[in-house]
Amino acid sequence: MKLAVAVQRYGADINGGAELHARYIAERLARHAEVEVVTTCARDYVTWRNERPEGVDQVNGIPVRRFPVTHERDPNHFGRQSRRVFDQPHSIADEIAWLESEGPASPAMIDYLERSASKLDFILLFSYRYYHAWHGARRVPAKALLVPTAERDPAIGLGIFGATFRSVRAVMYNSHEERAMIQAATRNEEVPGVVVGIGSEIPARTDGERFRRKHNVRKPFAIYVGRIDENKGCKELFDFFLRYANTFPRGLDLVLIGSAIMPIPQHPRIHHLGFLPDEDKFDAIAASDLLIMPSYFESLSMVALEAWALGRPVLANGRCDVLKGQCIRSAAGLYYERYEEFAETLYALESNGPLHARLGRNGRDYFTQHYTWPVIERKYLDMFDQLKREDASGARRPVESLGGWLARRQRHQRPAAEVLTTIPSNAVVPGSGAAENLSRSA
Amino acid sequence: MTDFSIRSDNVDVEQIMRQIRARIREKRGVDYTEEEIRELANVKLEKFLDPRGVRSDLLEQFRRKREASLPPNFKFEDTTLFETHRGLLAFIRRLLRPVLKLFFNPNPLIDALHIQSKLNAQQAALEPLYYEVIHNLVLETTRLGIDVKNLKMRVESMSSRLDFDERRARALEGVVQYRPGAVPPLQPPSGGGDSRAPESPEQSERRNRRRRRRGRRRPEERTGGRSGQGAQGAQGALGAQGAQGALGAGGTPMSEGGEAEPVGEQSDDRDDRGLTPVHRDTDGEPSES
Repeated sequence: MKLAVAVQRYGADINGGAELHARYIAERLARHAEVEVVTTCARDYVTWRNERPEGVDQVNGIPVRRFPVTHERDPNHFGRQSRRVFDQPHSIADEIAWLESEGPASPAMIDYLERSASKLDFILLFSYRYYHAWHGARRVPAKALLVPTAERDPAIGLGIFGATFRSVRAVMYNSHEERAMIQAATRNEEVPGVVVGIGSEIPARTDGERFRRKHNVRKPFAIYVGRIDENKGCKELFDFFLRYANTFPRGLDLVLIGSAIMPIPQHPRIHHLGFLPDEDKFDAIAASDLLIMPSYFESLSMVALEAWALGRPVLANGRCDVLKGQCIRSAAGLYYERYEEFAETLYALESNGPLHARLGRNGRDYFTQHYTWPVIERKYLDMFDQLKREDASGARRPVESLGGWLARRQRHQRPAAEVLTTIPSNAVVPGSGAAENLSRSA
Repeated sequence: MTDFSIRSDNVDVEQIMRQIRARIREKRGVDYTEEEIRELANVKLEKFLDPRGVRSDLLEQFRRKREASLPPNFKFEDTTLFETHRGLLAFIRRLLRPVLKLFFNPNPLIDALHIQSKLNAQQAALEPLYYEVIHNLVLETTRLGIDVKNLKMRVESMSSRLDFDERRARALEGVVQYRPGAVPPLQPPSGGGDSRAPESPEQSERRNRRRRRRGRRRPEERTGGRSGQGAQGAQGALGAQGAQGALGAGGTPMSEGGEAEPVGEQSDDRDDRGLTPVHRDTDGEPSES
């Protein structure tokens, strides 16, 4: 079996969620198939500047073919385009212009995918919202499997993506909430889909004491791992934690791991350790009492899965459907939506030993059951088998037309932000109406 | 803070969250979100004043502004427009007034200015009243703010003491075990005489010393409290899981090293809120005794 993995950036040093996801999947599927990664020469996700050489490269034994990006992103132009399609009635042409301005625009990459499609069994397109995924899905729909990595942001309300989601062969969702959101937005229930997610390279042995010695952290602590950014809910986390720290002078400390792009409050109980290598990160999670995930938007939190894999409960932002749903389904975490809940849940996890231990155990079980690599690989391979059977039966879905020159320029598209408000947002939990396909897909 | 009883391996996160929210509702009365409360406050107060904008020197500012910008007022009657101290000029104006009225009608103007003059007078009379109202409001707001702060501190202190007491009680319940025959059943007093064998002065002294160390206990603690808690205490908050249950309720406090402390000696190690987190060993399992 021959597979291509198409993703906007690729490299061992790139730690963005979707890019890391793509790398893990490529490396794992390489055990079962011949895998080639097709990507751009970009390294920076803001500018998409060509920083890596064009041509074929090897990353961890996987061949990587890079194509140049035709233009860097102009933040002002992209901002204007975003306002137009997110906040105003607009046309299909506006949306395509938005996609072009978002980038990374690499027509050569799309041409290559089209040329080599006949030699490939399937093409895995990562991140629905980028240029390569949209154009790739339209040019080679018969081979395209989409891994959307969709968050609850207005882009999902754009009309051009509806056709993409309905045209591809299959969609590999990250979570039940992501699937519910995409199906509500694009009506693609007919397209085969499975909730897969992603595994993680959990070390066989971690040493919390080593972390404590190395970083001189003595007291019990809660941990946050990730970019320290207002968009990730860190401002709210700091506000809540400072209030909590004032109320409970002897409570947990907060350890932050990751690069900071916002000011971190100076407080004796908040420790920022910066970006750490994987070994230290896993040791830190093992040493912690719990992981806090304050993000409002996630398609799948890998760090939450890593915490569960290490038997640590998670305290998540309940306004993020995905995190809330995962906490409920795994029975391995609590969630908060305001300060009072934050304080109560954090205190419960801090002080209630049996609750903490059971949530941790449930997290381990949940990870083992759903997110270990054999499970993830099996889901992909099963989907490939299913699609091959479909190939044999000759069933095909045609690519939807976006209309002629004039139709594309008619401003009939609703603002994407407005569309987003009409999409239901709830955690998918067993027993609820939205969870009718939960057991089937899991 | 909320205590949870974990009775089986199946943890229902939604159930726990419901308990937490119920507890918060209990504390706050009505379960308004922060946004709702802010909205309510804005609706009620925006017409009058922004409570966050009340300045400490508000009265001074008010007084200064009033003195500086008090406009002169004067009476405005129907003849005011044509008044003059020169007799001849007054005569000519009176003579030409009908001619003037051919060009425009000054009456509405005169009426309006007359009313305005009256309004100005009323406004001037009201200003001391406004001043008084604002003065009182500022005083009351300040007083209430201080009261609220004090009450908040008292409520927090009482709430944490209550939590501490609850946990301590549960910890005691978890530690005490009922052993049949270990404690002799209480005998009714037999005619006022002491049926016990007389004890030596040494024994008596030792007993007194022990009593002094433990502190004086109330009669109900000595009798029903202890024997009644025995059976219940063995179950603790975890039902059949006994001592672990007491821990589950935030129960048996742990020392810094993770060792269980004697229950009677733990209060020294705690802050005034009585909160000592359960410390865990390195692989994250709680140190349970």
